Amino acid sequence: MNLEIDFCLNGSEIRLSIKPWETALDVLRNQSGLTGVKEGCGIGECGACTIIIDGKAVNSCLILAAQLDGRKVETVEGLEVDGKMHFIQQAFLDKGAVQCGFCTPGMLMSAKALLDKVENPSTDKIVEAMTGNLCRCAGYVQILEAVREATCMKAPLNKDDVTNS
Amino acid sequence: MTAASIKEKQSLIGTSVPRIGVDGKLNGKALFSNDVAPKNSLWVKALRSELAHAKIESIDIKDALNTPGCVAILTAQDIPGNNSFGIINKDQPLLAGSKVRFVGDPVALAVAISEDVAELALSKIHVTYTELASIFDPEESLAPGSPFIHEKGNLLGKRLIKKGAPELAFEKADVIIERTYQTTCLEHAYLEPDAGYAYFDSDGKIVIYASTQNPHYDQADVASLLGLEADRVRIIQTNTGGGFGSKLDLNTQGFLGLACYLLKKPVRMVFSREEAFLCTSKRHPLKIKYKSAASKDGRLLAIDVKIMGDTGAYASYGLAVVSRSAIHATGPYEVPNVSIESVFAYTNNPIAGAMRGFGVPQVAFAHESQMDLLAEALGVSPLEIRRRNALRLGSTTATKQELTASVGIQTCIEAIAPHYEAIRNKTNSKDSKKLKGVGLGCMMYGIGNTGTQNPSTAQVELQSNGGIVLYSGAADIGQGSSTVLIQIVATELGVGAEKITLVNADTGLTTSAGATSASRQTYISGNAALDAARKLKEAILTEAATMLKANRKKLYMKNGNVLDSSGVDSSVSFEQIANKAKREGRPLKWQGFFDPDTTPLDPETGQGKPYATFAFAAQIAEVEVDILTAEVTVKKIIAAHDVGKAINPESVKGQIYGGAAMGLGFALMEEFIPGKTVSLKDYHIPTFSDMPPVECLIIEEPEPTGPFGAKGVGEPALIPTAPAILNAIADALGSRIYSLPANLERVMKAIHSGASKMKFRLNQ
Repeated sequence: MNLEIDFCLNGSEIRLSIKPWETALDVLRNQSGLTGVKEGCGIGECGACTIIIDGKAVNSCLILAAQLDGRKVETVEGLEVDGKMHFIQQAFLDKGAVQCGFCTPGMLMSAKALLDKVENPSTDKIVEAMTGNLCRCAGYVQILEAVREATCMKAPLNKDDVTNS
Repeated sequence: MTAASIKEKQSLIGTSVPRIGVDGKLNGKALFSNDVAPKNSLWVKALRSELAHAKIESIDIKDALNTPGCVAILTAQDIPGNNSFGIINKDQPLLAGSKVRFVGDPVALAVAISEDVAELALSKIHVTYTELASIFDPEESLAPGSPFIHEKGNLLGKRLIKKGAPELAFEKADVIIERTYQTTCLEHAYLEPDAGYAYFDSDGKIVIYASTQNPHYDQADVASLLGLEADRVRIIQTNTGGGFGSKLDLNTQGFLGLACYLLKKPVRMVFSREEAFLCTSKRHPLKIKYKSAASKDGRLLAIDVKIMGDTGAYASYGLAVVSRSAIHATGPYEVPNVSIESVFAYTNNPIAGAMRGFGVPQVAFAHESQMDLLAEALGVSPLEIRRRNALRLGSTTATKQELTASVGIQTCIEAIAPHYEAIRNKTNSKDSKKLKGVGLGCMMYGIGNTGTQNPSTAQVELQSNGGIVLYSGAADIGQGSSTVLIQIVATELGVGAEKITLVNADTGLTTSAGATSASRQTYISGNAALDAARKLKEAILTEAATMLKANRKKLYMKNGNVLDSSGVDSSVSFEQIANKAKREGRPLKWQGFFDPDTTPLDPETGQGKPYATFAFAAQIAEVEVDILTAEVTVKKIIAAHDVGKAINPESVKGQIYGGAAMGLGFALMEEFIPGKTVSLKDYHIPTFSDMPPVECLIIEEPEPTGPFGAKGVGEPALIPTAPAILNAIADALGSRIYSLPANLERVMKAIHSGASKMKFRLNQ
C-alpha cells in the first residue's frame, strides 16, 4: 500500500507516492534524488542527514516520510539560488570548514535553521544548535568560525529567508 | 626582475588555495560511495559470524536461494581466485571457508533485487558450526598450549630494537621510573559508512567505485581474489567521507568484485553503521611496560620498553604497527641506550589495523607520561626535561639513524614555552571543586612506510590548448592532498591552480601513488608530482628556447607563457609550444617518481633508516577537573607542529584541529568494547561541545628532500593531544591515570588517590 504526500521541497510543491514505513531520508535520497542528504548512522546520532522542516533542523533518518506531508522541507540542494552560494556556504568555503564533506550538508542545514531564527547567536548558542552534528575530520574549529562569520555576513537574504522573517 | 624572484612571487606554496572539489561538498552534489549506484543494481549483503572462533561444518543455502528476488548466495567455494587478502600478510579470507575467527567474519553473501530481500535471504542460510576455544588476550594467545587461530600460530610479528648498553645504564642511573600503560580498542568512526558499486564496462573490465584510501592496492587484491590479471579490474575512488586508516582495507571492494564478476550484473553494497562497526578494522590496544632511566641533571640514559599488541583475527596493517610503535617508543628524545621489544598476537577480537598514527599515539601516551614522572622525580619542570632531551641536528634515533636536517622539536618546544609558563602561573580559583591543570605532549613521526620501499608516481601533461593535466593515484580522503599536489605542480610551472586539471585515484587513468597513509602523500606523492612537473618544465623551456632563439637559461614561465628575462620583448605560449612539440613528435606527458631514502631494519637490532624524514610536534592542554563529578573539561589546546613547509596553511590547521579532536576522544571518551559497542549510540566521539579553542603554531624547519621543504602532518596532529591531556589531569590531581580512556570512573579514582597528597580536600 502506498501513501501520497504533498509537500514543499526546496521551494517547489511536489507529490510523492511512498511506502508508509519509509523514512524521510530514504524518500529524499531514493525518490527525489537528493543524495546530499547523507546517512551516517540511521539512529539520529550523527546529524549527517539533517534537513529543515518548517524552520526546524531535523534528523531525516528519524522521521517517516509521511510526516513530510503538508510541510515546508529544505535540504542542502536548495541552498544555492540561481547558482549563487548561500552566505553560510560561502562562510564554510572561506573558513576552510570542509574536509571530507560528508557531515557538511547536515552542518549547513543546522546552521541555517539557527540563523534563520536567531539574528546574532552567541557562540554558546551556536554550539548548542550544532552539537548534534558530528564531524570526525575537522575538529569543529573552522566550522564554528564559519558559522560565526555567517552571522556577521551581510549577504542579501534569499527569497525563502524573506518569507521566514 | 630575476627569474628566481618572479618564481617566488608566483608561488602558491604557503597559500591557502581553496580545496578542489569543495563546491560539490557544499551544494550536495559531490557523490560519495553510496550515491553512485544506479537503481537497477543488485544488492549485496554479507552474512557474518556470531561466534568468535568456530569451525564451519556446513553451509546450507537451499532455503535462501528460494527467497523470491534472491539472485545468488555466494560462499567461499565460489571464489575463483586466491581466497586470502591483506595489505601486508595475505591471511584474511574474503568469505570464511573452513572457520571463522571473530564475531563479524563474513561467511556468505546474498545478492538480491533489494536490500530487504537480501537480508531476508541471509536469514535463511543455515550454517553449522563447531565452536572452538576463543582467545581475547594477546598474552594468553602466545602462551604455550593456546589453540591456534591461524595455521602458522598466533604470533603476528616481533620487532627488537637495541642500542648501546641499557643494562649498564640502568645500573648507573640516578632515577628509574617503571610503569605499565594500557590503551584500548578504538573505532575510526569516519562519518561515511563504507559502500560501493561495481559493474562490467564495455571492455569487459570490472569497474568498482569505492570509498578507499588506496585504489591501486584494492585493484591488486580484488584481481587476485578473482584470479584475474590486475588490468581486468578498475577501481575508482568516490568522494571518501573520512578514512583514518580503516579504508586502507578491502571493506566492500572484494564482495562487489566477486558478485559483479560471477553474476555479470551491476551490484551495490552499503554497510550500515552497525556493520561498519562490527567488521572494519580498529586501533590496536597496546599494553606498554615502560622503564626509563635518567641522570640527576635530567638527561635520559636508557629505556627498556615492552609492547604487547592485540591485532585481532587478521593482520591488516598490524605488522606496520609492530615496527612503528617500537621505533617511536623513545618519543622525540635522544636516548643513548635502548632496549625495545614489540610483540603482537592474533586473538579472536575484531581486526586491528591502521588507524591514524599506527601505534604511535599509544606509545606517545607512555613516553610522555614517563617524561613527566621523571621530571617530578628529579625536581625539574616538564618543559625543562623535554628541552634537555629533545632531538637535535646530529642526534641519533633508537635505530641509530642520524638526523641531518629538519629536526624541529626544539623549535616546537620553544614556541609553546611562553604559553606553558603563562598557563602554569594561573592559580586555582577559590572554587577549588574545579581544579586546573596543564600538560605537555611531544612527539616525532616518521613520514612514509617503515623501512620499506614505498614509491609514488605521477604524470604531468601539457595539452594542445595549453592546459596542464596532473595524473596522480593519490586518494584524497578529505585531508586535502589533491589541492596540495595541484599547488606544487602549478607553482613549478608558473600557472594558477585553476589551470591544472587533476585526474586522480582511478586505476584506469593513473599509476600508483601508494596508500594515503603514514602521512606520506604531501612528501612522497608531492615529490613525484614535482618530479614530473620539472621534467615537463625542462621540455617546455627547451622548446621555447628554440622557438624564441633565446638563451635557455634566461627563460621563465608566467601564466602559461614562456618569457625572456634578458630584456628581449618576446614570449611564446604553452599552447604554441604544445602544438610544435606535438607536430614534431616530442612527448608532452612526463612521468614523475619518488621513493624515500630508507633502509630495512636489522631483524636482531632494529638498526637502520626506517624513514627519510620526521615530523615533530609539541602541544599543551589546559584542563579543568571537577572533583565532585570527575568531569574533565579541556579548556584550551595549543599545538606547535613542525611540518617542514605548510604548502596550504589552512589545510595544515584543519589537520591539527581534527587531530586534536581525535586525540581528545582518545584521551577522555573513546573505547570500543567488542560485543558491547554496536553503534554511535555507545561509541562517543567528541562533539562541538567537547572541543576547546585550539591555537596552531606552524613551525617550518624545511626538509631538504621534501617538495618545497614540506613533510607531513596528518597523523602528527593527533599524537601529542592525549598525552598532553593526561599530563594535565595528573597536574591537576597529583595522581596519574595509566589506562585510556580517562573516563569518569578512572578520573574519580585518581581524584580520590590524589586527594591524600594534594592540597585539595574532597569535602568542603
